[in-house]
Amino acid sequence: MKKLDRLDWAERLTLSAFGVRAGVRVNVSGLLPRVLPLLPPGWTKSHRVIVERLYSLVVAQGCERAGMRRLHVLYADTMPVARDAALDQVLAALETDLHRYTAEATSDMTFLHAGVVGWQGRAIVFPGRTLSGKTTLVREMLRLGATYYSDEFAVVDNFGLVHPFARPLGIREDSSYAQTKYTAERLGAASGVKPLPMGMAVICKYEAGAQWQPAPLSQGQGALELLANSFAVRSQPHQTLRRLHNLVRHSVFIKGTRGEAHEAAASILNLSCARERLETT
Amino acid sequence: MKERQFPRARVDCLSREFGNEVLVYDLQRDVGHCLNSTAAAAWKLCDGNSSPPQIARTLSRQLSTRVDEAVVLLALDQLAAAHLLVEPEVPVERLSRRVALRRIGIAAAIALPLVTSIVAPTPAQAASCLHNLAPCTNNVQCCSGVCAPIALRCVGG
Repeated sequence: MKKLDRLDWAERLTLSAFGVRAGVRVNVSGLLPRVLPLLPPGWTKSHRVIVERLYSLVVAQGCERAGMRRLHVLYADTMPVARDAALDQVLAALETDLHRYTAEATSDMTFLHAGVVGWQGRAIVFPGRTLSGKTTLVREMLRLGATYYSDEFAVVDNFGLVHPFARPLGIREDSSYAQTKYTAERLGAASGVKPLPMGMAVICKYEAGAQWQPAPLSQGQGALELLANSFAVRSQPHQTLRRLHNLVRHSVFIKGTRGEAHEAAASILNLSCARERLETT
Repeated sequence: MKERQFPRARVDCLSREFGNEVLVYDLQRDVGHCLNSTAAAAWKLCDGNSSPPQIARTLSRQLSTRVDEAVVLLALDQLAAAHLLVEPEVPVERLSRRVALRRIGIAAAIALPLVTSIVAPTPAQAASCLHNLAPCTNNVQCCSGVCAPIALRCVGG
């Protein structure tokens, strides 16, 4: 750390998000405005000096010589997180690592790996790992009028309410692994602001050509599926279980394999509406 | 000595009730279990003082229906496999699942006991991993588990 500390740092920022304090410092002035949109939604500036994790972004400067690549390097404390000639890639790594660290370190909330939309005052949650098709389904739900909450995290408070983590959606175009960022507004949807109770959790994965025929899942089985996607269950098992208990109280669960997202999205919203009608009558 | 062989539920696990089901988190193994109503009811009666026939009788009273001892043995088998019972000092002979199912037959009035388990994810497992050509510094960051050493990019996945 001392070696890094000795470098000439041009700009620095201390932030707080979900009760986690982190710092970012860069060795080039004018770079912080590019970092700000990558910070966790709802972050605030902190005036405290001590942070839980310090990111150091060393931007390669000077002319490139033949046979030698100049690499930008990102450190989390003393650990190198990314090293690349493309600054955009290193900034993307900063975003990923900072969001992940926040999800893991916060004790204020429980983070689940899930996509979330708001629909008629309830949250519909799609827990799942990478490439399970969360973002595609969220995008389709937005097209049908749902409100955007997140394509990556369901953020659950002590009362079991789901808070927005409305970072731009990372959409993979044409089945490539590279993501293009779109804000919900650019996709014609609104972003949620108010925390919502969960009305439905949909456990599904994509399989080309599959027909969407979901089966109901019991609350206990559903809670187990959510547990399998929670970030801090190993380090904070008590809080995680308590918050999951409050989260699933008024929720239904369905599970299945889906084909194209538009078919599943319409069916999920219909189910949600039908349930709403049943409850009001 | 005899008492020690009666099934006893572990008390060092976290548990929460979700309707009739119970979610149990094993702090030692970092494993989550969902016990369906029958498995949960049987687990709660594993006090170390009750034999399987006694547990079956108590369950029958609680559920107002006859619960065969084989159902209890099947539940105990699954609970033991999930490490949710205190290990007996003397190995206890259990009814095999196949024999239990044959004895229960198809006319069971209650749901067959079921314990579903998952290994709790580490934060890295719960998070999105990096895909092909994304910059990386170590293998665990990549979905494929391969971070090319010189290029420092994920390979595959």
